[in-house]
Amino acid sequence: MTTNVMTLATALGERPSAESDPACAPALWNPQDSPDEAGAVRESVELSVIVPVTERYEDPLKTYAAYKRALGATGLTFEFLYVLDGPFPDVVERLAALKDQGEPIKYIAFTKWFGEATALTVGCRLSTGRLVMTLPAYQQIDPDYLPQLVSALDDKAMVVARRDRAVDSTINRVQAGVFNLILGRMLRVRFGDLGCGVRLFRREVLDEVTIYGDQHRFLPLLAERQGFKVDEVTLPQAGSDRTTRVYSVGTYLRRLLDIFAIYFLLKFTRKPFRFFGTIGLMTSAAGVLAAAVLIFQRLFMDVALADRPAFILAMLLIVVGVQIIAVGLIGEIIIFTRAKGSHEYWIEKII
Amino acid sequence: MAIDVSLIIPVYNEEANVRPLYDAIMGSLGGQPFSYEIVFVDDGSRDETFARAAALAACDHRVRVVKFRRNYGQTPAMAAGIRLARGDILVTLDGDLQNDPADIPVFVETIRQGFDIVIGWRHKRQDDFARVHISKIANRIIAWVTGLPVKDAGCSLKAYRADLIKGIPLYSEMHRFIPAMTSLAGARLAQLKVRHHPRRFGKSKYGFARTYKVLLDIFSVRFILTFVERPLLWHARAFGISAAIGTVLLIIALVEQLYGGASTSVAFVGSGILFLALAMSLFFMTLIGHLSMASADFRIDEFPILTSRSADLARPSGEQTP
Repeated sequence: MTTNVMTLATALGERPSAESDPACAPALWNPQDSPDEAGAVRESVELSVIVPVTERYEDPLKTYAAYKRALGATGLTFEFLYVLDGPFPDVVERLAALKDQGEPIKYIAFTKWFGEATALTVGCRLSTGRLVMTLPAYQQIDPDYLPQLVSALDDKAMVVARRDRAVDSTINRVQAGVFNLILGRMLRVRFGDLGCGVRLFRREVLDEVTIYGDQHRFLPLLAERQGFKVDEVTLPQAGSDRTTRVYSVGTYLRRLLDIFAIYFLLKFTRKPFRFFGTIGLMTSAAGVLAAAVLIFQRLFMDVALADRPAFILAMLLIVVGVQIIAVGLIGEIIIFTRAKGSHEYWIEKII
Repeated sequence: MAIDVSLIIPVYNEEANVRPLYDAIMGSLGGQPFSYEIVFVDDGSRDETFARAAALAACDHRVRVVKFRRNYGQTPAMAAGIRLARGDILVTLDGDLQNDPADIPVFVETIRQGFDIVIGWRHKRQDDFARVHISKIANRIIAWVTGLPVKDAGCSLKAYRADLIKGIPLYSEMHRFIPAMTSLAGARLAQLKVRHHPRRFGKSKYGFARTYKVLLDIFSVRFILTFVERPLLWHARAFGISAAIGTVLLIIALVEQLYGGASTSVAFVGSGILFLALAMSLFFMTLIGHLSMASADFRIDEFPILTSRSADLARPSGEQTP
């Protein structure tokens, strides 16, 4: 997936020089693979800021200025890496202008939509910072409070921001509330605002955790599963984030499917049959029960069976249940045949 | 120096047991004619377990400690220990002192006699009544479904030939089914009665709530075993049974129409067709299973080599003839 992204990416932060001078290109593509070249081309910074640009974004000039001012207060050296998830010519224009003014900006534009999670992963691979901060292309958190996030990291591997919604619009609050309620119920999530794109983490986190598509919201959960210490800090919401937003029905459905997918991924990756088996057995049991009732009526209550569609429904339930069970068993085979290659534990140290 | 025996001990919040366990091991393995190492796997304990084990490692080079980033469960802990162990014979035991290290020499001796896996059997279990009986029933079911007469699958004290157990996939909560999994490779199995002590320190970490999950796991293990050993058998069964049911239903419908004089039976024809459709979909699903087996990250043909003995050919690795 990521290699695809690499080859498909067209515009590039250092485009003029990178294209004219082929020696620069590989160093920019994958700094980890060729440390010498990377070191020669650019020195590494302490903090890499990744800004994924997707459907929703504000004027980059404005957000960049605000973010930069806030990060300047932390005293860390930093670079900005804009990852454009699809063609956004207007954003490219603005970023190029900023870059020409000598701002520490790089950008990479995908030719099509790959998802914010992929954008973050690619951004992390191209970045050099020991710490990585993700910031949305629109303000969610009042930028003046970003230094608080940096100081909250301490010994932890990751800190995520939680918006203080005290003065948010009612509709926004209800939406976020429902999203977090479902998550809390299904996954016992202790984070209060997974929709917030302001996160700070050590680069090992994205090196080790694989996310794709729309899974960026669940990065803290996946990082925690792999044994990283994750914490949450509540920060004031940005003023512009308080305007009421209503999304299309499709967006809400997609969000719901995301939750379901992550639920499955977190709980049943290693034991698919526990999931499929339960559902399949219940479905089949319902079918057997219904068939038993119909046969009982036929034998003892003299109700004809042959022309009752209810009997077909009962059989259908049994058949569907068996199919679900079979899918689960095939899942078990797939996990069994791949159990040796993947690992499900992470070792901190060996003495 | 080659190590003969590795003791693998998963520990989770067992700070009070680490030192006594170490002393007990020293006491019972002291005069034995084999060299050994102790591998503690700290499964993300939140107490002093790691510090105490590390203190042991500091003064005894035979002690190694593996620390997990967080709690992952008993099977991953065993898998990690097995992977890192350097001995020719691996012995797993609980970190809670309920197994008696004094049993270890007999286990090692049994492996040396030519068995591939030795399983402990707590014939006088020191736990409360309900737990003992629920686990008895569970053992019966596991033995029946997997076809292995294991009396006590839950006993952690087991010994394996290292190259066998290292070749067996071990994941999820499969530690109960290790004997069943090793039967894939045709392992020779021995069972020995072991001493069992009541818990002295700390709390038990098991509950009854997982019984249902274990039942589902038993079913999937049985399926995996059959599928790996005789894929065509499963293929034929899945397809054959559903196709047979569908055909019978269709015949009933036909007979009714021909001899009963009634109009065509919607219910029987409909469900007959459904079961034939099921047969078709199971047929194709099984093909996905074959696809997965063909691209597995291990080779099935390695299994027989793990346990076979040959007079003419040198074994690929490991054990000398006793």
